[in-house]
Amino acid sequence: MRSPLIPEMATQEVQLNETLAHLKTESETLKTKLEEERAKLHDVELHQVAEKVEGLGQFVMKTRRTLKGHGNKVLCMDWCKDKRRIVSSSQDGKVIVWDAFTTNKEHAVTMPCTWVMACAYAPSGCAVACGGLDNKCSVYPLSLDKNENLAAKKKSVAMHTNYLSACSFTNSDMQILTSSGDGTCALWDVESGQLLQSFHGHAADVLCLDLAPSETGNTFVSGGCDKKANVWDMRSGQCIQSFETHESDINSVRYYPSGDAFASGSDDATCRLYDLRADREVAIYSKESIIFGVSSVDFSLSGRLLFGGYNDYTINVWDVLKGTRVSILFGHENRVSTLRVSPDGTAFCTGSWDHTLRIWA
Amino acid sequence: MSGKVCSSSNSVIQAQKLVDQLRLEASMERIKISLTAADLVQYCQDHRRSDPLLTGISASSNPFKDKKTCVVL
Repeated sequence: MRSPLIPEMATQEVQLNETLAHLKTESETLKTKLEEERAKLHDVELHQVAEKVEGLGQFVMKTRRTLKGHGNKVLCMDWCKDKRRIVSSSQDGKVIVWDAFTTNKEHAVTMPCTWVMACAYAPSGCAVACGGLDNKCSVYPLSLDKNENLAAKKKSVAMHTNYLSACSFTNSDMQILTSSGDGTCALWDVESGQLLQSFHGHAADVLCLDLAPSETGNTFVSGGCDKKANVWDMRSGQCIQSFETHESDINSVRYYPSGDAFASGSDDATCRLYDLRADREVAIYSKESIIFGVSSVDFSLSGRLLFGGYNDYTINVWDVLKGTRVSILFGHENRVSTLRVSPDGTAFCTGSWDHTLRIWA
Repeated sequence: MSGKVCSSSNSVIQAQKLVDQLRLEASMERIKISLTAADLVQYCQDHRRSDPLLTGISASSNPFKDKKTCVVL
């Protein structure tokens, strides 16, 4: 016997389908409008505006230190604000704190998981955060007593439902921002482990994030396997701008020092610069001869140079304003997986699948 | 409620979210590249002298560059 409710449900379904069709049309119209608005501002290219700027000379940058000690691929590294200490994490499950001047290891922690894909130094220099396949971000206070077992004081802060891809402390030791293979980013209170805000919008794994320089306010940018770079308002959780011009996964994002732009590095073998006030891509850093993906990018202090670590074991140095490559650096014997310029801009550090870290200057 | 109606209304909720997001992005005030790019260039120029990797600083001021050692002949 047919239930009397069925005709009602059929009507409901028809109405929902109509609404759905209407919304789809509206979103297509809005997308077209967005593209039109962005195109209107495209009155000139960045390198044209930079024509009168002096070209850059020859660069001599060499490996000045090699940090050996990891037993497997180095996946991530971060500088301490004191400009000499570095934390690095590896596929072997180890997190090591180094003095980059002397190359001495100061601390070592063994994580309960392999593939520690993310690590970060706390602004105070008194703790490090790390995580990876354990789906968590944990904070380890660094003890002055070298004999103390760091693992005993470990604090679990973030919990995702897939791997942790990146983490960063905000302006203080009190909050951590994380990104995950579960497609979300999240802001956590370190002391309580409480989730303060979550950021939904990526359609696939989020691979990287970077916080805006403190002067420019409470935003951060994230990049993912959905080829999108999203800019978020940290307080509201809202995605305020979105850029989709890369042709593959975005492995790294980094703000330009003024906070008005950010660079990205992707598996499509290009780095790109996005201007936040013009709301569009303004430069592509690529060459036909470069066919391997970019794993990580960072700017020199003035923003004139962009360093990119590539899967073909090299580092390419780009003139941000003119769009040309100024140098190519060799040394690593496997993929460069992570790259950061030091806080005072005197050097940059790279980590590689060849198990080592190198300091370049 | 039938499964079909449930998934249709989820699609509607998602589609509405997308439209709201796009409306927010479309309403943003944008500035011409000729102006914003000029600011990017200006920032580089203003800070170029304090960029050690750009200017290249001497071994005596860079802790990572080894100072020349004396050779005993």
